[in-house]
Amino acid sequence: MAILDIRNLTTRIPTARGNLTVVDDVSFSVEAGECFGLVGESGSGKSMTVKSILGLVPAPGRVTAGSVHHGGRDLTKLPASAMAAIRGRTIATIVQDAVSALNPVYRIGRQIAEPMLEHGLVRSRTEARTRAIALMTKVGIPAPEKRIDDYPHQFSGGMCQRVVIATALSCDPGLILADEPTTALDVTIQDQILKLLVNLQQDLGLSLLLVTHDMGVVAQTCQRVAVMYAGQIVELVRTEDLFRKPRHPYTAGLLNCVPRLDGPARRLNPIPGAPPDLASPPTGCRFHPRCPLATEACRAGNPALREVAPGHFSRCIRQDALTPDMWEAADA
Amino acid sequence: MSDATLPAPALHRGPRPPARSWRRHSGLIAGAGILAIILLSSIFANWISPYGPLEQNLRNTLQPPGWTHPFGTDNFGRDIFTRVLHAAKLDLMIGFLCVFFPWMLGIALGGIAGYFGGIADTIIMRIVDTFSAFPFLIMVIGIIAILGPGLTSLYIALTLAGWSMYARIVRAEVLVVRQSEYVLAARALGFGHLRIMFRHILPNVITPTIIFAMTDIVLVILSTTSLSFLGLGVQPPAAEWGIMISEGRGFILTAWWMVTLPGLAIVLVGLALSLFGDGVAKWLRERG
Amino acid sequence: MPDLLQVRNLSKHYGSNRSLLSRLTGAPAPRLIAVDDVSFSIGQGEIFSLVGESGSGKTTLGRTILRLIEPTSGSIIYDGTDITALDKSRLRLARRQIQMIFQDPFSSLNPRLTVRQMLGEVLHVHGIRPPDQINSRIAELLCLVGLPPDSIDRTPRHFSGGQRQRIGIARALAVEPRFIVADEPVSAVDVSVQSQIMNLLLDLRDRLGLTLLFIAHDLSVVRYLSDRVGVMYLGRIVEIGTRDQIFAAPRHPYTQALLRAAPRPDPAHRGTEAALGGEPPSPLDPPQGCHFHTRCPRATDLCRRVAPAPETVAPDHIVRCHHHDPAFA
Repeated sequence: MAILDIRNLTTRIPTARGNLTVVDDVSFSVEAGECFGLVGESGSGKSMTVKSILGLVPAPGRVTAGSVHHGGRDLTKLPASAMAAIRGRTIATIVQDAVSALNPVYRIGRQIAEPMLEHGLVRSRTEARTRAIALMTKVGIPAPEKRIDDYPHQFSGGMCQRVVIATALSCDPGLILADEPTTALDVTIQDQILKLLVNLQQDLGLSLLLVTHDMGVVAQTCQRVAVMYAGQIVELVRTEDLFRKPRHPYTAGLLNCVPRLDGPARRLNPIPGAPPDLASPPTGCRFHPRCPLATEACRAGNPALREVAPGHFSRCIRQDALTPDMWEAADA
Repeated sequence: MSDATLPAPALHRGPRPPARSWRRHSGLIAGAGILAIILLSSIFANWISPYGPLEQNLRNTLQPPGWTHPFGTDNFGRDIFTRVLHAAKLDLMIGFLCVFFPWMLGIALGGIAGYFGGIADTIIMRIVDTFSAFPFLIMVIGIIAILGPGLTSLYIALTLAGWSMYARIVRAEVLVVRQSEYVLAARALGFGHLRIMFRHILPNVITPTIIFAMTDIVLVILSTTSLSFLGLGVQPPAAEWGIMISEGRGFILTAWWMVTLPGLAIVLVGLALSLFGDGVAKWLRERG
Repeated sequence: MPDLLQVRNLSKHYGSNRSLLSRLTGAPAPRLIAVDDVSFSIGQGEIFSLVGESGSGKTTLGRTILRLIEPTSGSIIYDGTDITALDKSRLRLARRQIQMIFQDPFSSLNPRLTVRQMLGEVLHVHGIRPPDQINSRIAELLCLVGLPPDSIDRTPRHFSGGQRQRIGIARALAVEPRFIVADEPVSAVDVSVQSQIMNLLLDLRDRLGLTLLFIAHDLSVVRYLSDRVGVMYLGRIVEIGTRDQIFAAPRHPYTQALLRAAPRPDPAHRGTEAALGGEPPSPLDPPQGCHFHTRCPRATDLCRRVAPAPETVAPDHIVRCHHHDPAFA
């Protein structure tokens, strides 16, 4: 049973340069209890997808097509008040910069308790406080009874992220949207937070939509993953299959240009060029100007996301020509 | 006008921005337009009007606005329209100069304070604090009282009363810009203080000062007219809006045009400058 | 390889501003020890990486080597000369030899200057080319870093992050340095751009014979680029070795934790335990003895009292730990 079902979601932002289609016909679903990864570089549309789900696309942009089904309703059609009742209650969010996500003038206990009080999950301040302390323990904040009255500036970056996670769990949501939750953290703290998220997700049976640019993070946390490029999903599959046998040249290129900690040190082959300008994307396949496998058909047609192997979706019409050493030949 | 005075072409950001941008900057254009008209009229006042600003005609005093005198005449028979035009030149010049001098002084001192820090910063900022402690008009009146009324005293007084705000703004901006990596890179490349200051820091701190100066011009012009009204600024018989209002005080009920029309000129210039200033500020902010 | 740079016992302390009250009461001044008695050397043509997390002091160390931050004590010997002792005019000459590339592509370029002005300024101030040759040299530099020639009259806002980094590299190369300190130059760009910039740096090292001090927090990047690596924690270097020594046989528990913590693009191997618990201590109040003991799985009483001295465990491999051990803890 999918806790989030997105169909043909499209978001456009009018700018002085033209209409930017930042989310283009995106479809995927997140099952209950699953950790789903949305991976891509900057400008791929992954953060905008999250904002579109939450109804928080900054004006003048807006969702122009598609649907987001959650709890039996289409979120894109809901009025603002109904969306506000869902945000923080059944869908919680964790953002990248935890320190600025917290209000510096309020104690963290109050910030953790605020969603519960706002959505009516607790009846009194005392009950909220007890729950907040329990949550702080769950996310691994030491001495919560003392720290609950501290201010955000008294916490380190990693601890602030734990507070943000506790706030997200405040109303027992079924789904957490995490937008690059560890990018701003040091690698050892990132490791702690990611393990915390995975453990919480499994203990509480939550669903987690994890947005990141780091393939390593995806490999370590997600069951299924969608790769985004220029606003579109170009590949969608179970994580093991993505790394074992990618079926889109962009994914293969990304995997190829990430330096490894293990294995022999080999020359990286960067993907040449740069992501397209969304105001005037290339015709046909958006990736074709940078793709070594591109043909006339790639320039002309508009490839759709299709199932090219069981459970494995790709937008590439030439994906059967992909070989493991394909990117070796395309020298930078 | 030669090609050298034309503004540089817009930076290409892909397809041309739509013509809608003119509407976005309508305030700027309107304000600039009104100012241009006022400025040109005042410069060419001698061609527009046959009368001199000081030319008295005692047989023609206190005439209401009509064909020969569009704004009427005052108690000395001087044509008010001419005087209003000439006054525009004077008031606009004072407004501009008495913002320009404080701006320069403020940038110099604020820049030194922000860039070098240490003892220079302490001394300069304590001086700024001292000057800021006095209310603006009190300080201006005080300085004029010491130096005696007159145009020069006005310039000196307005400059001394106005520079401290610019110094504060510039110092704050310089403190920020000084930490940026491109300034660090300039130091790493072995550039000297002067080059770093003028080429790398100042161009990046100027924008807030210009935005502030735009509102300051309006305040300065209003202060000038007020002071001249009180007899502390420009001295009669010069044509200046404040003086004209002051001279018309005794005739408000009988010759309303002596007071009202210079007053309207002040309002119009203030409005135009506000539109222009806000427009410039908006344009600078968008330009980044 | 002869050493191009030798850093000896370099320290940088910041004395926090003392309030009047604390001065009067004689309370001890809080001091932030950003760089604590650091020593290492870099050979000609080598890429040496300094790796550490935030608060490790690696950025401060990089800037101190250029004397953009003045060291509190110690010496920096570049090509036989101690540059900490140089006066202003000689330092300016030395600045032609040692340059820096910065992390943030968005604040490392003056937003008001065009590429021509930026590069031309450098060539002009240092008299590297006569005025009639400046434009051709700028074109050469752009070609060297892989930027199209029509970039020359654009301001930074027209460029992507990766392109701005290339401009920053061209600016550093304009003085024709022999040694470049690269302060996290690929941390703020996308993965695909990151690999382009890394390959560019390797090419430049090969073609121009540069020596590089590469500061980073990402271990996989460090492994790709470096010949030798130094690991920093709270102002001290805790382990130094060749690339293979550090990555295949690390001995300090912090180095081992860093390697375990980095998320591997390998779904088959997923850990459930965090590699390193606890929080990094505040540099204003570092732990006694070994700084790492508060988080170290092997900490003993000795570690709490005595800071470990550098110990050579293999040629070129130095560790600062009382209980160093090649086996992963």
